[in-house]
Amino acid sequence: MEHHYENLEEREISLWKKKVFWSWAVTIPIILLMYLPSILGIMPFDDKTESVIILFIGFPVIFIFGFSTLKSGFKGFISLYFNMDSLIAMGTVIAYLTGIASLFFAIQNYSGISAMIMTIFVTGKYVESKARGKAGQEIRKLLELGAKKARVLRNNKEMQIPISEIVIGDIIVVKPGEKIPTDGIIIKGESAVDESMVTGESLPIDKTKGDSVIGATINQDGIIYIIAAKIGKDTFLARIIELVETTQSSKIPIQRLADKITAIFVPTVLVLSALTFVGWFIFGNINGAFGASIAVLVISCPCALGLATPIALTVSSGIGAKKGILIRKGEAIQTMKNVKVIVFDKTGTITKGKPEVTNIERSSGIGEREFLEISASLEKLSEHPLSKAIVNYSNLKSYRSVKNFRVLRGRGIEGIISGKKYFIGNKRLLDERKTDIKNFEKKIDEFESDGKTTMILVQEKKIWGLIAVADSIKEDSISALKSLHSKGYYTVMITGDNEKTAQAIAKEVGIKKVIANVLPEDKAEKIKELQSKRGGTFVAFIGDGINDAPALKQANVGIALGTGTDIAIEAGDIVLTKGSLTGVVQSINLSKATFSKIKQNLFWAFAYNVLAIPLAVAGVLHPVFAEIAMALSSITVVTNANLLRNKKI
Amino acid sequence: MIKKILIDGMSCASCASNIERSLKKIPGVISAGVSLMTRKAIVEINEKVSDEELKKAVARAGYKAVSIE
Repeated sequence: MEHHYENLEEREISLWKKKVFWSWAVTIPIILLMYLPSILGIMPFDDKTESVIILFIGFPVIFIFGFSTLKSGFKGFISLYFNMDSLIAMGTVIAYLTGIASLFFAIQNYSGISAMIMTIFVTGKYVESKARGKAGQEIRKLLELGAKKARVLRNNKEMQIPISEIVIGDIIVVKPGEKIPTDGIIIKGESAVDESMVTGESLPIDKTKGDSVIGATINQDGIIYIIAAKIGKDTFLARIIELVETTQSSKIPIQRLADKITAIFVPTVLVLSALTFVGWFIFGNINGAFGASIAVLVISCPCALGLATPIALTVSSGIGAKKGILIRKGEAIQTMKNVKVIVFDKTGTITKGKPEVTNIERSSGIGEREFLEISASLEKLSEHPLSKAIVNYSNLKSYRSVKNFRVLRGRGIEGIISGKKYFIGNKRLLDERKTDIKNFEKKIDEFESDGKTTMILVQEKKIWGLIAVADSIKEDSISALKSLHSKGYYTVMITGDNEKTAQAIAKEVGIKKVIANVLPEDKAEKIKELQSKRGGTFVAFIGDGINDAPALKQANVGIALGTGTDIAIEAGDIVLTKGSLTGVVQSINLSKATFSKIKQNLFWAFAYNVLAIPLAVAGVLHPVFAEIAMALSSITVVTNANLLRNKKI
Repeated sequence: MIKKILIDGMSCASCASNIERSLKKIPGVISAGVSLMTRKAIVEINEKVSDEELKKAVARAGYKAVSIE
């Protein structure tokens, strides 16, 4: 993937810089010539000679340094796609022409003013493009993050190749301190890997054989051999960049009005300027007519309006990306401020999502080995995290063969082993199958009150025993929830688990309300119910992007959590690459700070134009001050957006 | 289908708005968003719209499509 725009940007900035230098080099003598004599009380030239000299030195400022602006501006008159340059082009050229006209008629000469306007315009553009460059600096860093070269093993030989030549399946050797070239899986060696640049996770993560690594992260202390799993556009980093870029072009509802105005702004100002001229000509004088109409042209600034929102979004997505917060839909920034209720998925969101078996309780007469063999052989066929816990716990070398295996969604699994029918499931499944659990009720209660999920292994109608599994909560879940409560959010946990287990975990982390026994496919429905409360409540849902996609979509703001490459970037309005709940708090803070920045910017841009244009029409503002005001207005908007960085997120 | 167009020559927000308007005029363009920051247009189109048409629309508004992917 290539990114040209940083080159375009650098080229643009250096071009403006040159123009700034030369424009001032020429304009300063003009200014001296115009004002020094009257200050010193001398008259070196007569008016006509002075006009000719100014026209002569002013020419390059307008027609050489301002050439690209004039070209782009006047093109608008042909294509009828007017832009900001159209205003400056009209303003400066008309002003320049008054200089020529003044040689023949008794009118004021604005040609010196014309050079000043162009010079200030060019300077404003230079400052603005630099500030815009700064606004995009985090995103640019992201683009430069990828490794350039990789050391691969081919035909038993180590060789350096450019990153673009890596193919899937290549064995890559990564030495300590080196960047991991692409996404892959460790096949040999172990090391701590610094993933902060892509996930915002500040502590290095220990990785060993079988663990996946992310391209562009830094291998810290051991030599690792990885097998390339994803390359080019499919890598985690490439997908993050893609997402951040796409967000830049997405629209936020609040900017709709500004966009509409921007679209008709320039033609409107052109008409207004013409009317100003006519008005002044009829009711005032010709000199005032030129002065006021030029001031109207150069004071009007669609840029501040048009940039107000996108520039804030750029800064915000840059800051976010650095912290592992990817804003996928700009709209979420606006919606976030209305959110009152935050719903969390339990497994993998509040808890680590790595459940471990804590207790096994067998019926008398059932041997441990037999019990584990049957349960692990069944669970081996399921993808559920709880199943993995049981398989890991059993530590079997080989498994019994299972026939007619079936997943009973949200309830358990079943299958036939050696001709006998078994199932493992929750209480709900046992109720359905009318299996008596009387002898185990107390034990189940006890486990569940501890926040442990309890599964029951049954052969036909005979209970073999219980397996209790606990999923420990993430380190920062409690503090993150505390922070959300202090901000006034109402928190809800939604889970497929039973009421008692869920309540125990909710109590531990401080969640206000629990919705338990929810089948995965019903989560979206539950979100809908919460949304319909009190005549419409805005709900945010936090869950993993893989199983919870419908719920993420249903929520007003969907925040998808993931760790490392196992992340469904395409789900959710906001994606957190670091799995911790602190990210949720941060993304709320970031959204709110960004939205208030956008509002500030839009307010200033509107207020500026609403106040400044009438003043120009009235002829109160000298064209030079009008141009200075214009340049400052767009610089202010960009600079204000850059201030977002100072916010504590 | 999503197309990305890298655009040269945009100098201000009204330029971005012009290109958006021009792109949206092409039949078959579902949505178009232009970012002055990334210098990219992200255009959602149905299959019928050719790259050539997109380039033309950018040119019509007075700008240059550097690349389309």
